This record gives sequence, C-alpha cells and structure tokens, in this order.
Amino acid sequence: MSEKSTPLLAVLQLLRKYNLKSTEDILRKEASLGDVECESLDLPEVELASILTAHHTESDPFTYELAYDGLKKFIENSLDLYKYELSTLLYPVFVHMYLLLILYDHVEHAVSFLEKFGIEQEDYYQEDLKKLSIVKHKDQIKGNELAEIYSTNKFTVQLSRDASSQLKRYLHEQKNSSVIINIINNHIQIEVHDGPGRTQAQVRATAGGVLGEPMKSENRTKVYYGLLKEPDIQVLPAPVEDEEEVEETPDKPKKKKAKKDNLFMKKPKSDPNAPPNDRIPLPDLKEIDKVEKGKALREASKRVQLGPDSLPSICFYTLLNSGHTAISCDICDDSTLLAVGFNNSNIKVWTLTPIKLRGMKSAEKLQDIDREAGDVLVRMMEEKDRDTCRNLFGHSGPVYKVAFDPFKTMLLSCSEDTTVRLWSLQCWTCLVVYRGHVWPVWDVRWSPHGHYFASSGHDRTARLWATDHHLPLRIFIGHYSDVDCIQFHPNSNYIATGSSDRTVRLWDCLTGSQVRIMTGHKSTIFTLAFSVCGRWIASGGSGGDMMVWDLSTGGPAASLPPAHTAPIHALAFSRDGTVLSSGSLDCTIKLWDFTAITDESPIEETLNNLIPKEDKYLLQSFATKSSPVKGLHFTRRNLLLAVGTYESSA
Amino acid sequence: MGDSELAYGSSLTLDSMKVIAESVGIATLGDDAAKELADDVTYRLKVIVQDAMKFMHHSKRQKLSITDIDHALKIKNNECQYGFIQPDSLPFRFASGGGRELHFIEEKEIDLSEILSAPPPKVPLDVSVRAHWLSVDGVQPTVPENPPPLSKEAQKLESVDPISKLSKPSNKDSAGKPICGKAARLKASESVHVKQLATHELSVEQQLYYKEITEACVGSDETRRAEALQSLACDPGLHEMLPRMCTFISEGVKVNVVQNNLALLIYLMRMVKALLDNQSLYLEKYLHELIPSVSTCIVSRQLCLRPEMDNHWALRDFAARLMAQICKTFNTSTNNLQTRVTRLFAKALQCPSQTNNETGPSMASMKESEKTPLASLYGAVQGLAELGPEVVKVFILPRVRWLGERVEGALSGIGGADRLAAGNLKHQLLKVLAPVVRQLRQPPDQPEDYKRDFGYLGPSLQQAVSKIRSSPSCSTAGGAVAVVTCTPPLLPTAPSPSPSNISHTTKTETVTTRNLVIASSTPQSPAPSTPPPQKFVIVASQQKPTQIQSSSGTGHIVVHSSQPTIVRSQNVQSVVVTSGPAPGGAAQKVMVVGVQPQHNQGQAPVSVVAKPVFARGGGGPQPPPELDDLSHLA
Repeated sequence: MSEKSTPLLAVLQLLRKYNLKSTEDILRKEASLGDVECESLDLPEVELASILTAHHTESDPFTYELAYDGLKKFIENSLDLYKYELSTLLYPVFVHMYLLLILYDHVEHAVSFLEKFGIEQEDYYQEDLKKLSIVKHKDQIKGNELAEIYSTNKFTVQLSRDASSQLKRYLHEQKNSSVIINIINNHIQIEVHDGPGRTQAQVRATAGGVLGEPMKSENRTKVYYGLLKEPDIQVLPAPVEDEEEVEETPDKPKKKKAKKDNLFMKKPKSDPNAPPNDRIPLPDLKEIDKVEKGKALREASKRVQLGPDSLPSICFYTLLNSGHTAISCDICDDSTLLAVGFNNSNIKVWTLTPIKLRGMKSAEKLQDIDREAGDVLVRMMEEKDRDTCRNLFGHSGPVYKVAFDPFKTMLLSCSEDTTVRLWSLQCWTCLVVYRGHVWPVWDVRWSPHGHYFASSGHDRTARLWATDHHLPLRIFIGHYSDVDCIQFHPNSNYIATGSSDRTVRLWDCLTGSQVRIMTGHKSTIFTLAFSVCGRWIASGGSGGDMMVWDLSTGGPAASLPPAHTAPIHALAFSRDGTVLSSGSLDCTIKLWDFTAITDESPIEETLNNLIPKEDKYLLQSFATKSSPVKGLHFTRRNLLLAVGTYESSA
Repeated sequence: MGDSELAYGSSLTLDSMKVIAESVGIATLGDDAAKELADDVTYRLKVIVQDAMKFMHHSKRQKLSITDIDHALKIKNNECQYGFIQPDSLPFRFASGGGRELHFIEEKEIDLSEILSAPPPKVPLDVSVRAHWLSVDGVQPTVPENPPPLSKEAQKLESVDPISKLSKPSNKDSAGKPICGKAARLKASESVHVKQLATHELSVEQQLYYKEITEACVGSDETRRAEALQSLACDPGLHEMLPRMCTFISEGVKVNVVQNNLALLIYLMRMVKALLDNQSLYLEKYLHELIPSVSTCIVSRQLCLRPEMDNHWALRDFAARLMAQICKTFNTSTNNLQTRVTRLFAKALQCPSQTNNETGPSMASMKESEKTPLASLYGAVQGLAELGPEVVKVFILPRVRWLGERVEGALSGIGGADRLAAGNLKHQLLKVLAPVVRQLRQPPDQPEDYKRDFGYLGPSLQQAVSKIRSSPSCSTAGGAVAVVTCTPPLLPTAPSPSPSNISHTTKTETVTTRNLVIASSTPQSPAPSTPPPQKFVIVASQQKPTQIQSSSGTGHIVVHSSQPTIVRSQNVQSVVVTSGPAPGGAAQKVMVVGVQPQHNQGQAPVSVVAKPVFARGGGGPQPPPELDDLSHLA
C-alpha cells in the first residue's frame, strides 16, 4: 500500500463502517482504486482515527500544546467538586498527544511538550513517562511495550454525570479542542457514574493503573470468597486425639473440648459466601495427607493468639555467604523445611529441624520391601544418606520462586529458562518439566488443596495447571504487562495476580474469566497474600507501598502508610488472621494490625478520619542487620519465620 | 526533578558514535548517519535496560547486574554479552581533564602466565543457614546478629537533646524494654505532661547484666572476665548502661589509685578498652569521665603498693595506648581532644608541680616531692610517644636535657624504687627518641655532639640511634610503639636490672601470685593502628600489703580524696581523711563502718547495693583492709 493512498483507504474504510455505499463507490471510481486493495481494508481502529485526525492537525504541532494548556486551565478553574475527577483526564490526554506528535514526526515538539508538561503529571506516572520518553520515532511506537499498551487500549476515566457534562460543554465551546475530542473519542473511555464528584483522596485511592480505573461493570460478578468446608474434619478428630493422648498429660480432657469448640465453631456454619465444595474438583485426600492435616490441627490448637498486645516472636534465618545469589525461598507449611532458589539455577533444601533429609531407596531395593507392612513409608527411605541440606539441579536460569506443596512431598520451582519444574522431596529428583510459558516465569504457587498450581510470567499471562497434565488447564489473559506475582485463594476457586500494569486481578478457576480488577497501586506489585478468612487480599509493591483490598467489592479497603522504602517481597498473615507482616528489601520487617485495618467501615465513610488512624495500623518494625527480607512464614503456632540474605556493605 | 534533562533521560552523542565507528574500522561516518545511529542505539539500550530492571527486581536486588542485562538480551532474542561476568555491580570510575568528562570501567591487564602459575583460588564458602531471634514477643533482643537498638546518630542526638527521646512514640522504640499494651495505652491517654524528664531506667535484666558484668570484670575469674569483656566489646545494646559503666570506671579508678590496687586498675582499663572497641556505642558523651581515669593511670605518681617491684609500667603503657586510641577516634576540630591531651602530658614534663597534686598517695610524700615523680614522667613520655613521632619531636626532644638530669640524679641517688624508675624512664626515652633522632640527624653520629645536644642521655642515645641505623628492619618502628615484652613467668623487672630487684625475686616466689594478662587483641578495633597483641604479665602478691602498712603504722588508712568517702574497715583503728589540694573545701562526709573480719576466700563484693565494690582478693589469712567507695550514696 503506497504512502499516499493510505488516507484514501482510511476514508473508504470509514465510509464502509458507516455503510455509506454510494459515496464509497464514487470515491473508489474517482481514485481508481482496485477491488483488491479495497477488500484488504482492515486498518486498525486506532490507526484509522489517527490518519483521519491528521488532516486537521498534522500541519500544526502547536495546537497540541495550546489545547492541552486550555484543558489544564479549564480543569484548574472548575469547581472543587469536579476538579479531581476531571484531573484524571489530563494524563491520558497528555500521553496520547505526545504519541500523536511522535506519530506525525514532530519529534522536537514532542520532546519539548514532554518536558514542559511531563513534570506536572502525578508522581506515580513519572516512571511510565520515563519509559515513554525513550520513544522518539514513529517506528518505535510499534515495538515499544508501553506505547503499544496506550495506543491499542482505551484508558478508562470515571466521571460523575455533572463533571462529564461540564467537560462536554467546554469541548464544544472551544475552537481548538478538536484534538482533544479526537483523543477522547479514540483512546479514552469515559465512564459516567451517578452521584457526587469524588474527593481528592477518593480519586487518588484508585488511581495509578496503567490504563486508569476499572469499569464498574468489571467488578460486578459475585465472588465466592468464603472458605470451603473441610471435608476431612469428621474423619479426623479421633485419630488426632488418640495421638494426643499418648503425648499429653492428664489435663487433656479440657483441652480436647476446647479444641473441639475451636475447630467446630467456624466450620459447621456454612459460609454464605463460600462456593460449593465441588465447584472445582478437588483431589481426595490420601491417608498420609490426612495424617499431615491431623498434625496441623493439633498444632493449631496450641497456637498463640496474636494482637496488638501480643506480638509474635520472629526467628530470622540468615543465609550466609549467599550475597545476591539467593533470590527466592519458601518454608513448608509445617515449618520443617526451607527451600531456596538461587541465581545460578540451583535449588537448595534445608531441614530446619533435627530430622535429617532422606532419600528413597533404589528401585531394586524397593522391590524387596513388604508392601503390606505398617511402616512401609519408613522402610522406603534410605537409612544411610542423611543430610541437612540437599541440592536440586535442573534449571538453566535463575530460580525465581520455589514452593512446597501442602503435604511437603513435592516442590515446584519456576525459572528464567521458561519452565516450571516439579521435584520430589522423596527421591530428590525432578519429576515433571512444565513447558508453556514462552518467557521467564516469575511466580508459581500451589493450590492450598494441592494438585493444582498456578504460574505467571513475563508473557503477560497467568496459567492454571494440574500436576498430572503437561498442558495448562486455563490461561488467564488480560494483564497489560508482566504478571509478577500470583496467589491462590484459600478455597482454591480463585487466583489473584499482580502485575507491572499496577493492577491486581482476580480470576475464576472454573470459568477462566476475570472477576475483579483492582487499581490503586502506584507501583509494580511483587507480592500478594490472601487473608485467612478469604475476603481480603494484601499486596505489596516495588515502591514499598502496601494495600489491602476487599474482594466482595473489588475496592481498596485500606492503603497502608508507606512505611517501607524499598520493594516489598514478602507478605504473610498470621494463622489467626490478626497480624499482617511485611518484609522488604530495606531490611525491615513490619507488623500491621490487620484487625484494625479491616474493622474500618468502607473507605467512603471514614475517609476523613482515615489519615490519623493510619498510624495505628503499624504495630512495630524490626530492622535486620543489612539482611534484606526475602521470605516470611507463620508457623502453625504463630511464630513468624523470616528468611533473608546477609549482604555485607562491601 | 528540576532538571528536565535528568527527568527524561539523556542520549548518546554523535561523537561517541564516531569514536565507536572508528574503533571498528569505519573511518568516516557522516553526521546524519551518526545521528540516526545514536538515536537508534540510545533507544535500544534504554529498552534493554528497562527490561533488565525487571530481572533485577525479580532477583530481589536493588542494583542492576550484568546477568540482568544478559537475560534482557535473551528475551529480545539477542546474543548475550559473553565474558562480562562480574558478581557485583560494576564500579564506574570517573575522570575528567581538558574539559572532558569520562566514565569508564577499570580494566587491568592480566598476565596469563601469572594466573596459570598461581595457586588455584579458594573455593568460595558454601551457603549456610543461621537462625537467630529477631524478636521475642515483640521485643528485639540485643544480640550481635541484630542491629544496635539505637544507632550512633540517635545516641548522639540524644546526648545533644535529651528531650528528643521523649517525643518519640514509645511503641516504635524497641530498645530492650518490653512495652506492654497497657503502658502504651496509658501513654496515649495521658494528655497533660507537667514536666518532661529524660529518665534512664534500667530494666531488671539490664540491672542484672550490669551487676554480672561489673563483677566479672573486676573479679578473680579470668575466663569470666574474658567473657564479660567480650560482651562489652561486641554487644550492641549497651548504650542504656553506658553512663553507669563509665561512672563505675571513673569511680573505680579514683578509689583504686588511692588504694594503689594495680590489678583492679588494669581490669578497669581493660573495660575502657572493651567499650572503645564496641562499634555501636556513642562514647563522646562520656569522655569527660573516661579521659581523666585513663590519664590517671598513665601519669599517677604511684599505682601499686610496691613501686620497686610491681610492673605498673605495663599499666602505664596500656593506658597510654588507650589514650592514643581515644584521641584518634574522637578527635574533632571542635573538641580539640588531641591538643588538650598533648598539652596535659607536655605540662607534666615542663612544670613539676602540676600533675602530681590529684592523686598523690599521701600528704607526706607530697611535701617531699617538689619535682614531678619519675613514674609520672615515664607516663607522660609514654603518653606523648603513643601520639606519634611528630609529637615526640615537638614535646619530648626539647626536654631531653632536663629529663636526663632527673634520670642521672635518681640513678646516682639511693632508693631502689627511684633507681628502677629512672632506669625505666631512661630506657623508654631512648626507645622513643631514637627513631625520631635518626630521622632528624645525619649519619655521622658523634658521641660528643650528642652529649652537647642532649646532655646526660646523649651518649646512650647515640648508641641507640646507631644501632637502629645498622639494623634496617627497625626503620618502620617510627618511635610510636612501646614494646615491653615479658615472657610469662618473668618478674616485672624493668629492662635495666637493679640489685634491689633481684633481692625481691626470691621473696615473690613464696607468696601467692596472680597473673594478669592484658591482651589488646580484639576482633574489630576502630583504631587502625593498634599495635600487635602484647602480653603483660604482672605478678601481684597478696601478702605484701601488710609489709607496706607496717611502715605507716599497722591499721591506719590514709585516705586522700576530695570525694565524700565511706571507709569500711575490718581491723583498722583510725582513719585519716585528707581533702584534696584545695584547702578548706566543702565539708566531707566520712563514715567508718566496722565489719566483722571475714575469711572470705573469694572475690565476691560485699555490698548491699548493686554498686561495684573494689575489694582486694582476700588471699591471706588476714584480709587486708577494704575500702569501699559509696560516694554516690552520699
């Protein structure tokens, strides 16, 4: 297609779009265009619009600056009621003006435009502007990640009805506003909501996403955030208490009752928000898993109640001589094993208890074992080789995440080499290599019920897998940028993802669709944690900011004061859900009063007195000795375990 | 953000493009081509760096490394940069000149044959896990694995503005005291602060710790003392106890100088050493207590009961080294510490009546000595010598003639102690001066010239200098390090043996001896030029005190102090208390507490309050008198 005929083709396409047949025919005749060219009319909407608008403004790059300045003045002078909502419009208009200037080869104007108005944009957009500022040629728009996101998607802005009518009136009155009208038509989705205009704080609470706020309709679906009924609870108490009787001293009758109360208080009341147990098929528990669950329950009965007055003890595991090489870690549910993934593709597993790590016997020897024997599991294991640390070799790139399965028989790891690997902790070998991600895999997590796991990566997708399938069961697509972290909901029905596009999304495992999109983070999200009750999700970002979201509404429940000064890479809820702990690269661990955070009534009502209360959220901060915190884990008894690497100043 | 160019990035210049083009053999690159290239390369580089940032973040780092760039290249389907492996971030060097600025990476030329012949590098240490308590029930224990609860800056701020401590919210302050919710709530509900007082409460644990440490430091158990000193030198959470520690030391020195208790003075100086070595303490606040104590131990007229026998020289040397360390660490332009300390020592060399008035053991000896005692001179010389050869040159060298006269007079006179002291002083002077003189004078060393210039010490100095000149290895000594080396069973004899000394040798073998070891080897010393570890072995006898007392009448204690004092005695008939040099001072409280004689073999302090008791070890059947300083109660 020649350069000159492109505008003509665009006009033709426009005529066809509006079904103006006769005009189209006349134009075709006049321009003597062949059928072939006309058939292949499939210019993207965006390009079409930009080609057509070009005829107004192509010749005059100064209109952009004038128009933007005019819009800014109009917003500044409008009533406070509308001001803050309208100001969210400025950033997308600014970005698209810049891209249009680049598109029409007014590079120098574009640069001066960016330098003049770029500084005025919100601080959380500065990072993006820096990324965008490297685009200085129209050919570069195509390949650039961020520029493509902007030019192929619509930026969503929420305005109240009054504010949007004010805007309309302004745009009609102004002569040189056609540029803005075009941009708004092509690149901005204005969602009008009834009700008063929002305040500055309200606007700020949800602003920050790469493409603005989510549409209200996107968060309407009901989310079953309740917990599943524990299926094995009726089976289990008997064997559990049998074991307990062996260990415990005479005062156990009381304890037994208390424990029963504890365990049955929550469960029999079926949660109205809980999904049906068979909503997604869950694996049956094996006998050995039941024993493990029993242990967990017994431990849970000895749990310490935490609160502002009783803070947890923290045991810090320092990885010595690791420097920058240790990059991921996980502690298994019963806190007996520690796995660390390294920069050099290696994975190390340490035992944290005196029980040594044992391998399984070789196949020939296994055949000799009496399979009916009661202690067959013990006999399977090698007696001789016992270690406190074992290596797992197989990856060919940095291991970005390691994860123990709930029953501590398997380990998952994901790496820069685009694979996810499943390892056996009995024979200490790799069992499966899951290929599917095309680019580095950033995160992988087990379902709390085992069997399923989810991974996310640089290819902007999150995937749901089952251990017995080599292909993913679901692929969740929607993020505009890398999916940096992933987390399973405690009821295994949902997956939450956090991304570089500064949104947290919730996906339904059953349907594969997105059910929540939550904006408000001002930086890349690196870690997510579901509350114990399943209703809240906490997220931590690269700027050291933390937010807590309410899954029932999809809105932010609280934005915690920015206490950390470096990226947060670890979040953990205490087992009773009262304390949230966060660990960051600034070498601190902070404890937050989660009861206070969620006690706040929804954000709209308490917004005015929210700011002074924020101080109360932070319970305490513990500094480590130049050891960035890379992992946090609450034991079943509510002892906090933290993992970090000692980085000497040299 | 103010600079717009910084805000939105820079780009490669045309010049660099041309230089790079030349380096690959393209001699003439047009301006247009260079500009196109520069723009494109800039863009591509920035995209790669942006992608590399993602890898950096997911590696949980905050510094970009070469591997990140490699991975970013890899996802763009580009070949990695081979051969640029560097575990840490690249250190950029900066150079400028001729109006040009240049950032570059230092690349050293490597000799391959050297690498091949070199022994293989050590295998790097394997990663290991180490666990410690970061917090116990919400309180951060002050163990070395945790950062110090109060940073030095905070301690400094507190010393400047004590109220700042109060304004801090208490629940953020995790410095060793458990803060229960109740107290926090009380604090929150309290709205009226009548008067704010900066309190220094110690928790029960801290009180116990203080008691244990002080007892161990001055006790008889050498292993416990080592542990206690180690704790003082390494534990991060001591700042709250620091005022008490310093008072303990300064009071202890005051009392034990009076008592002439050499052993305890040495223990106290070792405590000072340990505190100096502790990295987490802000000691500036307490220098006013420490410096007088240390200088007392350097220049005091008498530090031990038998000056002719005990090796108090070692204590003087050790304290002088401490003083040098203090000066090096804490000297600032505002406090002029080194100048003041130097002046103090220099005065001792110049004005005979200045330094001996504070700590003289008795009235009688004070009247006798119009001149500075030789021991004090020795201390002053040693103190100055530790401060460096320049100080020696300016302050000691001009006084050599006068010092020589003193030495000469004492050596020719009678009295074993004086002769010993003079010998020591002479030896010390020679050792200190020789390297300095060697630097100052030209090789032909004529004894006559030396005699003319330096008086009595001239010939010996000449010998020492020529000896140094002949042995090349000594050229680095610099005259600042005093070396008094004794092998363990050796007696505290001065380098120049005297007949009186030998006569005592046989005696000391019969009495119970105790070995003290002053070791200056600590893991981390803030002063970089701490001399190599030396051992001083001091033999102190337990029965000796009675002999001394016989001279001044049995059972009489003469206390000379300007401090209110309580004297506890067991078999003492009378107590004489004299006031300090300023006559007619404030009224003094004197208490005489009679205590039943105890046959207490151990060293346990007898005291009802958790305050140090400086007790001499009761080795013999008749314990020597005890003198307890309880002045803080008065």
